[in-house]
Amino acid sequence: MLPDATVVKHILAEAGLADTDVQETTLGLVCTVAPAEVAPAFAALKDSELDFVMLVDLMGTDTGEDIELSYHLRSFTRDEELHVKCTVAYDAEIASVWNAYPSALMPERETAELLGLTLSGHPNPKRLLTVDGVEPLLRKSSLIRTLQEVRER
Amino acid sequence: MSDVLRVILPVLAAVGLMLTNGVVLIYMLRKVLGHLHLRLGPMHVGWHGVLQTVADVGKLLTKEDITPNNVDKALFFLAPAAVFVPSLMAYAAIPFSETWRITSLDTGLLYTFAVLSLVPIGVLMAGWSSANKWALLGGMRAAAQQIAYEVPLLLSVLPIVMLSGSLDLVEIVSAQGGYWLGFVPRWFVLHPLGFIASLIFLVAGLAELNQTPFDMSEAESELVAGFASEYSAMKFGLLFLSEFSNSFIISALGITLFFGGWTLPWIPADWVAHIGPIIFMLKTYIGIAVFMWIRGTYPRVRIDQLMSLGWKRLIPISLSLIMVTGIAMKVVESVRGVS
Amino acid sequence: MTDARDIATEVGMLAPEGTHDPGLPPAGIRRAPEGVDGLTTEHLIINMGPQHPSTHGVLRMIVEMDGEEIVSAEASIGYLHRGIEKLAEHRRYNALGTLMDRGDYVSGIHGELASALAVEKLMEIEIPRKADYLRVLLSEINRIASHLVWFGTFGLDTGAMGQFLYAMRDREFLVDILESITGSRMMFNYVRPGGVLADLPVGMDAQIREFSDGFDAYLQEHHELLGGNEIFQHRVKGIGTIDRDSALAFGLSGANLRGSGVAFDVRRDRAYSAYDDMEFDVPVGSTGDAWDRYMVRMEEMRQSNRMIRQCLDGMPEGGFTAKVPKVLRPPAGEVYAAVESSRGETGIHLVSQGGDTPYRFHYKAPSLAVLQALEEILPGHLLADVVMIIGSTDIMLGEIDR
Repeated sequence: MLPDATVVKHILAEAGLADTDVQETTLGLVCTVAPAEVAPAFAALKDSELDFVMLVDLMGTDTGEDIELSYHLRSFTRDEELHVKCTVAYDAEIASVWNAYPSALMPERETAELLGLTLSGHPNPKRLLTVDGVEPLLRKSSLIRTLQEVRER
Repeated sequence: MSDVLRVILPVLAAVGLMLTNGVVLIYMLRKVLGHLHLRLGPMHVGWHGVLQTVADVGKLLTKEDITPNNVDKALFFLAPAAVFVPSLMAYAAIPFSETWRITSLDTGLLYTFAVLSLVPIGVLMAGWSSANKWALLGGMRAAAQQIAYEVPLLLSVLPIVMLSGSLDLVEIVSAQGGYWLGFVPRWFVLHPLGFIASLIFLVAGLAELNQTPFDMSEAESELVAGFASEYSAMKFGLLFLSEFSNSFIISALGITLFFGGWTLPWIPADWVAHIGPIIFMLKTYIGIAVFMWIRGTYPRVRIDQLMSLGWKRLIPISLSLIMVTGIAMKVVESVRGVS
Repeated sequence: MTDARDIATEVGMLAPEGTHDPGLPPAGIRRAPEGVDGLTTEHLIINMGPQHPSTHGVLRMIVEMDGEEIVSAEASIGYLHRGIEKLAEHRRYNALGTLMDRGDYVSGIHGELASALAVEKLMEIEIPRKADYLRVLLSEINRIASHLVWFGTFGLDTGAMGQFLYAMRDREFLVDILESITGSRMMFNYVRPGGVLADLPVGMDAQIREFSDGFDAYLQEHHELLGGNEIFQHRVKGIGTIDRDSALAFGLSGANLRGSGVAFDVRRDRAYSAYDDMEFDVPVGSTGDAWDRYMVRMEEMRQSNRMIRQCLDGMPEGGFTAKVPKVLRPPAGEVYAAVESSRGETGIHLVSQGGDTPYRFHYKAPSLAVLQALEEILPGHLLADVVMIIGSTDIMLGEIDR
């Protein structure tokens, strides 16, 4: 299930990402990288002996100070899973990872739209779920109506 | 009876028959499909829903007739008529019994096919004028399909024409009188060559009717409602009606050509002479029920598969069938001539 | 495996890297080619949906066609967006199930189970074995019910109207069973963090067994009527092929992934609930065309039926719910829990910061991955194949739009 943390570290170091933080948490093995390092890290992890061929999913969380992106990788040959995280500022531009994982195409659009990020290098960076003008819904600053407000409408 | 009445009355009879047929067939379709599908079909208007279709016709007649913007108005209005009129004309040559027929034509078979082949023009008009992409696709499909299947349909009946030696539908029926081996009725469907011809006729006929498994032009899961997408009220009613009328015509032709028309085997001809039309209608309705059975069960073929079936299979088969029939007839003739 | 970029370019998805110009029409919509022999043909752009009869809900495919052939396809979604993820941040943990029911509304139990598993994982709740068995039992009953809907609508897509109603006949048994157990036909809210809502009612065991004994024969009948039909086989074989590498690259899961030859089943490879006690086979396709997906799903129904019997035979004694507080307050942390739903891997990524509501609740919908793949595999097919391919992948717009 969980890949060897030292192996992951070693692979990332060979790709030029020294001193990556790899930790085991309740989520599984989580590897934290800088936003700019996501693409090289994926390229390295995919071609390594760990063989992470699938990006299961990606999601963003508004932590209150910034936005944390979480990618979920899976290897079928070794039956292992790895989570990769990076933190970006609000309204930041994130680089698409569809070159490495085409399965990121739509989740990226959704994440960018619902958290107010901009996509770069994406072939079709349109909104996915909502129409133009809808505020980024998953930000903590975007409030949904309370019962009181509904009554007062 | 004056000459004018002599002309008008049969035409009115044909119109009446066609409209009644439409109402009855729609009810029948709902009931047959319903029971095939483990449900009941209409149950509430009248006894077992018999008046449901009447109510629906009332609804169609009183509904708002919507003409969408951007349609080609002239064609849009003409199309239902262009579909309806040929299928009405096709009733002219159908022999309900030896004497019950609207007009007596020596080339009745040819005439019926000729008028039926006008229908796709109306369908194409409807599809083109609707200014709707689904309708356009449906119209194009219908035209391509009906042109492709007219040929095997016509070729498949040629062996029958050769065997009976006539294009007159009454003569074709009388050629099916008598028995082989003393008890097998001489229906062409029981003739080895006629049997193959009847299969081709069934397939090509279903395609000509736009019926499942060949309902390309209104494939509801692909084209929404095909060429009829933009039609409403009675204009839609006319398109719908002519479809049912066509399936009546094809079934009636099949009964005439292959199943001995208004005759019944093993029963002396003069016993049933007066109920000929009733027997004919019953046989035709059984034929339509078979169409409906196929419709309720079969999946639909794809347009390219449909085309290759028509051009690459049915046409060669029916052409070679004509050749085999010709040779067989010559052989039989010479054998009989020698003995 | 080959480079994902090559796959994407091979299937004609996108302009090569770096050539995308914002002034051009978006990737996927290309302009009509220059005419050959002085004939200029125009491509027809058709909106398939959101009210099209066979897009399984409110999917809108913007299809560019050359005659009847698809040149490019783009999915436009969001017509059913209810903001489940946002709403979940304002719900207590034991109310998450009601939201998940409305995600993938044809197989609600799986969604509930995923959210319950996530909460249990975070709080480290041990649940009684009986609850595990009940969850598996209900999951498998719901899986068959959902697959029957797929089977019926797939038949409907081909034009075989009868199939739909025959499949609904069998589904009706299952929905009645589910209603007797959970009190609801589709929106169950049966699986709760800590266990399940209720035990099996009296006499239910016999009723499920009665269905289970007859179902294999029914299934064979269904398969012979639709799958045995030559017209259907001609329609389905060889279309919508997703090869193994593309399936992995696009992140497919469930029967769609197994149809492409990857034997991965969450129930077997990440066994949850009582699946480690179950004996079942994981069917795998070879070429990844619509026919393979069809066969995999048909076999899955058979395996589900096997598991239903195993559940009833091995049903342990005891309570059906653990002792959990009325208001759940999991510790701060982050978990991912996945179940094998009828459509693939339904995952819940749950972030908690303490408190009685989730901080972030992410619903990983298997159908979304299928939708990305659809945009790539549709070009080159005929319009009639589009509905077949969409039907064969069994997408569910409720969970795509969330």
